Amino acid sequence: MRKALTLLALAAPLSAQAAETGDLVRFIACPVYRDADSGKKSGCWLASDPATGGRYDVSQSPYKPDWNFAVLVEGRLAAASPASCGAAVLEPVRTSRLAAPCVRHMLPAEGFPGRKYVLPRRNINPLSVARPLPPGPYAERVFTTWFEFDRDFLVYQYDDYQIDNAVTWIRGAKPAKLVVTGFAATTPETVSAQQIAERPEVAQERAESIAQTLRRLLPGMTVETKWEVGAKPSSDPDADGIPGQAQRRAEIRAVF
Amino acid sequence: MTERTGGGSAKPLPFRGEVGVGLVPPRGAGPGGQPPTPPLKGMGFRSAIIPAAVLITALSITASARAPERWWAPGEGRTFPASLDYANGQGTLRTLLVGGPMPTRGHPFFEPIGSNGRACVTCHQPADAMSLSAATVRERWEATRGNDPLFAAIDGSNCPVLPQHDKASHSLLIERGLFRIQRPWPVTSFNGDPVTPDFTIEVVRDPNGCNSGPHYGPAAGNVSVYRRPRPVANMKYLLAVGFPFDPKQGYALPLDPDDGKPQSGNLMADNRAGNLRIQMEDAAASHLQLMGRLTPAQIARIKDFETRVYTAQQVSNGAGPLDALGASGGPAKLRDSEPGALGSIGVPVWSEFAAWEKIAPAEAAKLSPAELAFRQSVARGARVFRDKTFLITDTAGINSRMGFGNPVRNSCVFCHNMSQMGNDVAPGQVDLGTTTQPFADPWSDLPLFRITCLKAPHPHYGRVILTYDPGFALTSGKCADVGKITLQSMRGLSARAPYFSNGLAKDLRGIVDYYERRYNIGYTEQEKQDLVNMMSAL
Ligand code: HEC
Ligand code: HEC
Repeated sequence: MRKALTLLALAAPLSAQAAETGDLVRFIACPVYRDADSGKKSGCWLASDPATGGRYDVSQSPYKPDWNFAVLVEGRLAAASPASCGAAVLEPVRTSRLAAPCVRHMLPAEGFPGRKYVLPRRNINPLSVARPLPPGPYAERVFTTWFEFDRDFLVYQYDDYQIDNAVTWIRGAKPAKLVVTGFAATTPETVSAQQIAERPEVAQERAESIAQTLRRLLPGMTVETKWEVGAKPSSDPDADGIPGQAQRRAEIRAVF
Repeated sequence: MTERTGGGSAKPLPFRGEVGVGLVPPRGAGPGGQPPTPPLKGMGFRSAIIPAAVLITALSITASARAPERWWAPGEGRTFPASLDYANGQGTLRTLLVGGPMPTRGHPFFEPIGSNGRACVTCHQPADAMSLSAATVRERWEATRGNDPLFAAIDGSNCPVLPQHDKASHSLLIERGLFRIQRPWPVTSFNGDPVTPDFTIEVVRDPNGCNSGPHYGPAAGNVSVYRRPRPVANMKYLLAVGFPFDPKQGYALPLDPDDGKPQSGNLMADNRAGNLRIQMEDAAASHLQLMGRLTPAQIARIKDFETRVYTAQQVSNGAGPLDALGASGGPAKLRDSEPGALGSIGVPVWSEFAAWEKIAPAEAAKLSPAELAFRQSVARGARVFRDKTFLITDTAGINSRMGFGNPVRNSCVFCHNMSQMGNDVAPGQVDLGTTTQPFADPWSDLPLFRITCLKAPHPHYGRVILTYDPGFALTSGKCADVGKITLQSMRGLSARAPYFSNGLAKDLRGIVDYYERRYNIGYTEQEKQDLVNMMSAL
């Protein structure tokens, strides 16, 4: 009963926003953790757009919030019902942790179940599982890895998956060298009345971090690094259609 | 329950076998012939301890002629059998040596190859699951009046500058089983790569004198911390590589400088040694005070032994044989299983005891009510370990820099995730708070350091951190790694109290109590006891 009422209440602000499925939402907010419990990793992350007050379920991000810090939310409104966490669902979605401190806030489950954990699609096999080399012919090819805002940290169950696939292909293709280019979204933008831009250095940091990983996975392979600021979005589908994510990247180019 | 026992079961337990008999003792220091010494003040854990003299008396009475010597003295030349049993407070620990028996005469793990009379076995004792319990340390102190090479000034005392004949100068070792570990400062290398630390370190408190003065402390080029010996057994699990990445550091696994293969990252509290060769060279130079270097032959023989030895609790006082009625506790299963598997996608962690969840009435009738209840409790404990979730908060390695979120709901098995072993399949550097304020208990006998992060602040502690042991940060040079300690193996716990890298948990209940206060878990009394009973059977 209580749940039905909550859902009704939710519907109002959403329609007021006139947001449509697939619309891009981008804002900065303090995240709220809802202690929903359907087992491990099942809790909810909520964040409200300060421009509209509309609250969103941002739990599906591959890098999740820290309740002590603001997050940059970028996502698309999904058709999914708000029944899991009690807010309109953004999916795909990204929640980058920013440096600005937040008051930590936790809501009780309030009858919301959260989401039972399922292994994400981008999930690597243990080394005990053989990785068959993809068949040729091989030609110059680019693989892309993706980052959180202003960070160079390899994203678990996202970048490791991209790199594992790239490395398997590279082992078969045997290119002459790899060129890793790090990109940074350094052009300032205004989000939630704040100017944000990535540090120019993060472009190089991304290139070096991916290059270091490739040198370890492909001993003996020549790996060169480059970096570019003022990044434009890449059209690679693995950015999941989120423009900010499509900018924050490093590309691995296999050169023959 | 006394501090002698690893576990926390409510049943009074017999003292274990004899101590020190057969060692060539320093004059007048034989275990039985020693006059009782008065109990020392201020030498216990936070609770009272049994005066050591009482222990010695009790032990010499219960000494059995058939049980093998508990204490393996350096160079005594015993043969290491294929299977070796020792009693402990919770039952019997079994150690298996694949391809054994093995003569130890001339073997570099067992011979005092350094300059201080110690061998590797001094601190890695078979009866103590190839670690060393604080109880054994106390027995050695009493049996030898502090003359055992175990108490060597270099790291078997709180600091070499202290008067060595004084028992108080060895209090950290005697009370909590802690050895002094001296790390270089500034951090100079990680697997050979140069590192410039992104933090400064200052000494807030130096109760032992080994972090100040002309020879010790950051100003003199070193930092001393105090740590428990880690078990040298079941090594294939600690060396196993499950996945190609270290998700906590955000890189592919580093490569072994010796064979070019990825390293597991699961050795040593601070992961300063990525392989057994580097580890033993460090151990020989520090603990054994070996002046030269280990020869390639010695390195090969130590490694051979280390990778053949398996240990686990085999018999439980409460439950009986741990491999009975469909259960598969004990070291044989460890020896025979493939290492490095993630429990969540394969054999669930501690499913060794799953068969005891439903004991058939006909089988149950053959057990005493107490035995049946204990087995059921062990089986429930395994479930609690895997299934009872709580919010993991402000724990670097989990809640940062990885993207699991802070907080994240999960259970004990989130971190202790390797089948059969309970260590971390990924390199297990996690900051549980055991050594760092505000989560660490206020031990005034440990040094206290003030870490200041020079670049980004620590994701949870902020710019300034107070810690007894920066842990992995002393290897990586990163302030984000302060307080991270590599997860240990969870086997043979009953034989090697106290627990955690700095010995803060005096018994198994102490471990559960620490987690309860750290994460506000809300375990019921029954769940706590089930966890304790389960851990006592590992
Ligand atoms: C004086 C006591 C002492 C002696 C002697 C000693 N060790 Fe250790 N050992 C320790 C301590 C303490 C640690 C944990 C150090 C740390 O985590 O920083 C340890 C850790 C280890 C580890 C790592 C196990 C793990 O799970 O991480 C191995 C392997 C090891 N020792 C082997 C040896 C060998 C081989 C020798 C002889 C060359 C030796 N030890 C001599 C005290 C000792
Ligand atoms: C967030 C990760 C994490 C979780 C969750 C976790 N542990 Fe641990 N555990 C660690 C780390 C890190 C250490 C090593 C800490 C140290 O030695 O100071 C450790 C050590 C241990 C040890 C080894 C003690 C020793 O000295 O050998 C035991 C036993 C243990 N944990 C039991 C548990 C139990 C029971 C739970 C559930 C209540 C649990 N752990 C949950 C990370 C975790």
